Amino acid sequence: MTLAAIVVSIISFVLGALLALLMIPVLVWLERRGAGLIQDRLGPNRTNVGGFRLGGVVQSFADVVKLLLKEEYYPSHIKRDRWLLIISPMITFVAALLAFMVIPFADNITIAGESLPIQPLPVDYGVLWYLAIGAVGAIGIFFGGWLSHNKYSLLGSSRAGSMMISYELPLGISVIAFVLTYNSIDFNSMVAWQSGTVLGFLPAWGIIVQPLGAIILIISLFAETNRAPFSVSEGESEIVAGYMTEYTAMKFAMYFMGEYVAMNTASAVIITMVFGGYQLPWVSTEYLLSHFSYLAMGLMVVIPIVVYFVIGWMRKNNAVRPTVISDGSREFEAKVLSIVLVGMTILIEVILLYLILSPSTLGSAIAVTLLQVVTFVVKLMIFNLFFILVRWTLPRFRYDQVQHLGWYYLLPLSLLNLFVTAIVIVGVA
Amino acid sequence: MKQKIKVVPRYGEDKIDRLYLPAIYNGMKITLKHLIRNVSDSNSVDTLEYPEEQPTDITDRYRGLHRLTHREDETIACVACFMCATACPSDCIYIEATTREDGEDEKMPQKFAIDTLECVFCGYCVEACPCDAIRMDTGIFSIIGNSREDFILEKDQLLSHRGIFKEEHSRARK
Repeated sequence: MTLAAIVVSIISFVLGALLALLMIPVLVWLERRGAGLIQDRLGPNRTNVGGFRLGGVVQSFADVVKLLLKEEYYPSHIKRDRWLLIISPMITFVAALLAFMVIPFADNITIAGESLPIQPLPVDYGVLWYLAIGAVGAIGIFFGGWLSHNKYSLLGSSRAGSMMISYELPLGISVIAFVLTYNSIDFNSMVAWQSGTVLGFLPAWGIIVQPLGAIILIISLFAETNRAPFSVSEGESEIVAGYMTEYTAMKFAMYFMGEYVAMNTASAVIITMVFGGYQLPWVSTEYLLSHFSYLAMGLMVVIPIVVYFVIGWMRKNNAVRPTVISDGSREFEAKVLSIVLVGMTILIEVILLYLILSPSTLGSAIAVTLLQVVTFVVKLMIFNLFFILVRWTLPRFRYDQVQHLGWYYLLPLSLLNLFVTAIVIVGVA
Repeated sequence: MKQKIKVVPRYGEDKIDRLYLPAIYNGMKITLKHLIRNVSDSNSVDTLEYPEEQPTDITDRYRGLHRLTHREDETIACVACFMCATACPSDCIYIEATTREDGEDEKMPQKFAIDTLECVFCGYCVEACPCDAIRMDTGIFSIIGNSREDFILEKDQLLSHRGIFKEEHSRARK
């Protein structure tokens, strides 16, 4: 192993851990603010550290402090095996976290003739890993619900289990159809396949090549994450909080965070398999590398425009109404953030200018990798926002409707999709 | 006799509705519209920035914090008849009666306390009062204190509250 390989693997591991763990507070905040704004409210926007509210993200850290300081409470009827009660949320959390680790955040970077993957766990069987480890998360839910010695918990965990069984099948079958299409079980080569075009002008994304399979995949992954509209396992209106009924403080927070990590992982898998992963539409990594100076010039024009609009939006919205006298140092915050944004833009412009004037393969490779990571994160956020939007739009399915949808619609449709895909692929070959 | 039967149409049975996806698309369109409108101009959201902005729409039927009304000579209107304490469903009114010496009436409360932590703000005390001596027209909707004792309002505090609407004095006792 060369030094470059070690550095790249450490960086990609840190990147994976940050994208999974640092995303939790952001997603909690995004969910609460998003819910508020969808329902014509504002959501949490007051908590601040020295006047910096960052739109309210600070609220998530205050929540963490609160959950850490809460009383560690165990129901008295749980006599034995308390350690399993603590372990089970961790199983859910760790399974979701590990499943995220096989997602490629950028294309393989070539340093000194060596191709290095930007993947925390550089395996070439990512799909199998995701299906295997992602399903382990349900075990944590079974243990938690069963050990609680509570009928609501048991009902919740049995619901989660049966839903897992009914939606693993369409998920697996639609994934097989994708594997046939891309002719690979490696996420990175799936993305590479999707960087071409179909019919000459459309990006060859999974949603365009395999629309039915993509819809089945998205629906099944919604069910896998136990989120609305498939949140029957924690249906408050019927079974209190499902498997989380007896959980308090940090044990509850582990389940809660596990749900968000699972949602993040599902988003990552969806965009990697269906929406072209880290690739910009229409352009492949080789094209970006060979036309790097044009790309850099384009970015030098686009980034200031984006930053200009972001600053304008921030100055407009990071203000209180004229009827309110105190503005709670929002103007100061907007000013500081504007300066930071402008400074970062100037820094990026200088670096890009340097890369254009003295081109080097290493510099352009790193820049293209960073661009792909940014593309990946933007796509990830858009899809997380889609998850949130769905949650605050749709009512919860009734339990029998969930099973009906899974067994009577999704399973036959996914089988049909698989057969058609197989016939087409054999016919083409 | 021919009965008139109104047949309510049932939705969700035909093939398009059973696909769920068109309905989901329509719903998402509405929520996304709200999200985009509110993100692009968060000050257009019709909420109060409480506590900087206070509500301005308190009507005269709003049941705020209690007050004891005055007669026209600014003495207490209450005659300590215990009607309010009897009507109270949460037993939060404590009255100790005493003889009234100034000749206006026979009795008056020596102690009149309302435990606002027990109170459910139902307004039965106001309905029960024969002297229009207790009212809930102060428009005060938040009570703040550091201990439980701070929330027990004594006679002086109840008398010091003023109504925010026109009627100031008791209508039953001149």
